[in-house]
Amino acid sequence: MERNTMSYKSKQFLMFAGPALVLFCMVIIIPFLYGLYLTFTSWDGVSADKPFVGIANYISAFKDAYFWASMGRTIVYSAFAVVFVNAVAFALAYLVTSGIKGQNFFRAGFFIPNLIGGIVLGYVWKFVFNRAFVAIGEAVVAGTVPSLLSSTGGAMFCLVLVSVWQYAGYMMLIYVAGFMGVSDSLKEAAMIDGCTPAQAMRNVTIPLMRTSFVTCIFLSITRCFVVYDVNLSLTKGEPFNSSVLAAMHVYNKAFIYKDYGTGQAEALILFIVCAIIGIAQVYIGKKGEVQA
Amino acid sequence: MKRCITKGLVLAALLIMAMCVLSACGESAEEGNTGSSNGITIFNSKMEIQDQMLQMAERYTEKTGVPVEVYYSSDTVSAHLATKYASNNPYTLSMVDAKDVYSLAEEHAVDLSDQKWVGDTQYAIEIGGKTYGFPVCIEARGVIYNKDAIEKTTGRKFKPEDYRTNKAFAKLLKDLKKGGMESPTGVMKEDWSLGAHFLAQVYEERDDPDAFVRGLSDGSVKLMKDKKFNALMDTFDLLMNNSYSKASAISAEREVTEQKLAEGEIAFLFGGNWDWSVLSAYDYTENMGLMPVPQDLDDGMNQKLVGGGSKYFFIDSSSNTSDEQRQQAKDFLNWLVYEEEGQSFLVDDCALVPAFSNITKKVVDPLGASVKVYADKGALIPNYNYLPDDHYAILGAMFQKYLAGKSDRKGLAKDVTTYWKTKTLKPHEN
Repeated sequence: MERNTMSYKSKQFLMFAGPALVLFCMVIIIPFLYGLYLTFTSWDGVSADKPFVGIANYISAFKDAYFWASMGRTIVYSAFAVVFVNAVAFALAYLVTSGIKGQNFFRAGFFIPNLIGGIVLGYVWKFVFNRAFVAIGEAVVAGTVPSLLSSTGGAMFCLVLVSVWQYAGYMMLIYVAGFMGVSDSLKEAAMIDGCTPAQAMRNVTIPLMRTSFVTCIFLSITRCFVVYDVNLSLTKGEPFNSSVLAAMHVYNKAFIYKDYGTGQAEALILFIVCAIIGIAQVYIGKKGEVQA
Repeated sequence: MKRCITKGLVLAALLIMAMCVLSACGESAEEGNTGSSNGITIFNSKMEIQDQMLQMAERYTEKTGVPVEVYYSSDTVSAHLATKYASNNPYTLSMVDAKDVYSLAEEHAVDLSDQKWVGDTQYAIEIGGKTYGFPVCIEARGVIYNKDAIEKTTGRKFKPEDYRTNKAFAKLLKDLKKGGMESPTGVMKEDWSLGAHFLAQVYEERDDPDAFVRGLSDGSVKLMKDKKFNALMDTFDLLMNNSYSKASAISAEREVTEQKLAEGEIAFLFGGNWDWSVLSAYDYTENMGLMPVPQDLDDGMNQKLVGGGSKYFFIDSSSNTSDEQRQQAKDFLNWLVYEEEGQSFLVDDCALVPAFSNITKKVVDPLGASVKVYADKGALIPNYNYLPDDHYAILGAMFQKYLAGKSDRKGLAKDVTTYWKTKTLKPHEN
């Protein structure tokens, strides 16, 4: 059997990658291209004809003040969420690899929030914020306490808090793998050379865990940018549409305000922004990677 | 190293795509195959009657031999139908909101002008001289009152028609407070209640809503000087300032508010007869009803509820539905209006207020009964069905600001004016 021919290679390729490729095209590439086409029409979502309007949708997307406001909020939300998710996840990972008693139990425990769907999680926390915290607050100060969710800053804070709670456990697992990947001999060598544990952590462990950081930050950025479920069930954009994040605005624009073309154009802009930030972060992160 | 970066980039791109797709699917999970040629498929968009619909479908099939399948989706009606049309798999009969009939009918609906029931209702939707929408029921809004709670607190008989003006209503609220009911009202903070229902009354409660809305849109209407706006806002202020949730109006949950009303802890709430499905989940009293929003204007509008047909059936006109199916769908609509069983399904099982004058069955729920009284004497102010789709959400949010004390009447008027300046009304007929 000749293994170096083109036909053999392509057969092999199709055999292994073919099914996945077909599926990938069907559910991602084709809808993506079709969506791209729809941004050039003024389709309302149900009508049979899709009038071609050129770049009018992009113009109205750029003029849509509500969209840019929601985009700004998304960036602020993502910045806070990404920092806190990773900080908390890293701290948790450090704790559960440091050899404390019952660390496997803690690992599982911290991971569990990630197994609850975002919608359910949003409703659970909504109850906690609106009823439980309010009841506790009222017991403490003996007066009426407004729910955190009813103030503009408070709602965004709640979103960040819930995201951190949800994602930290998942990111923790990746950091745990990172910690375990750094061989003890390197740390010991550093300590023998006179490093304090903190110095060993900063100069040996963390640089070697760079891949974990890149992966975790990438995952948390992309997740935060397109978050919809928690946003929907926890705040629904309230109060006064001040917690509408970009994905929710896009959905509302397309399906509720029935401005499908503009909504789709805004979705594409969101995708591009998200892709640029994500890829840039991975590129920069990978650049400084070191190997032991 | 270089290869590593490219690989990383590819991986990154794939991951982003996967994320986007994952976040975008999830919506279209509940698809049924609705393409068979015999029997009809019905899309129900009234969640509270889904169980009744399913049971009715079984009975109907047993009796007539026509297979009936009922589907429900919690998606936005238009978004759900969009997916069905996009997949060439529409329902034979779709239950939609009035505005959906206006946007869908000409392209997707069958002309029903020749049907007998058209003569028995004044709520069907007609576009260009053709009837497309079959009204499922009548719904109307006003102020819901709990008679037992009021009479118990004040010690006198409560007659809603004594409280038509803002002044009389304010006095009653004062008396209730004196009688020990600390906060006699509740306010729903939902954007649809504030934006689509309360604010819309500012447009609807006048002789020519269309001219008024056009006036808003071209800037000739000065809202702060508008009598109707001020009269309604005066009453809204009463509801707001006497509300149990005054301190945290924006986090009041609808269920809690309705529970308080049902159990008599509060006495008034702006709402509609659809609220019965929530009220009846609690320990309610039968002695409730709907009354017009009190206001200090003698234009007669404070003697009427606002409402009309709600939820409409239309029959699909595309080639995906056979003529036989269309006939079966028409038969089904006639069954609802003219057969004892159909009427009983609408009125007794679903507790709806029928939109047909030939149906004389007694409406079971007290709010519906109120609506029926007003409908029978012709005291319903019609809904204005031509508002832009984002109206309720954007202005509802502005109204929430007002409710939260973050804006005043002037600010709200300005927000409404600013919103309308960017809108041009789509042409429509009256």
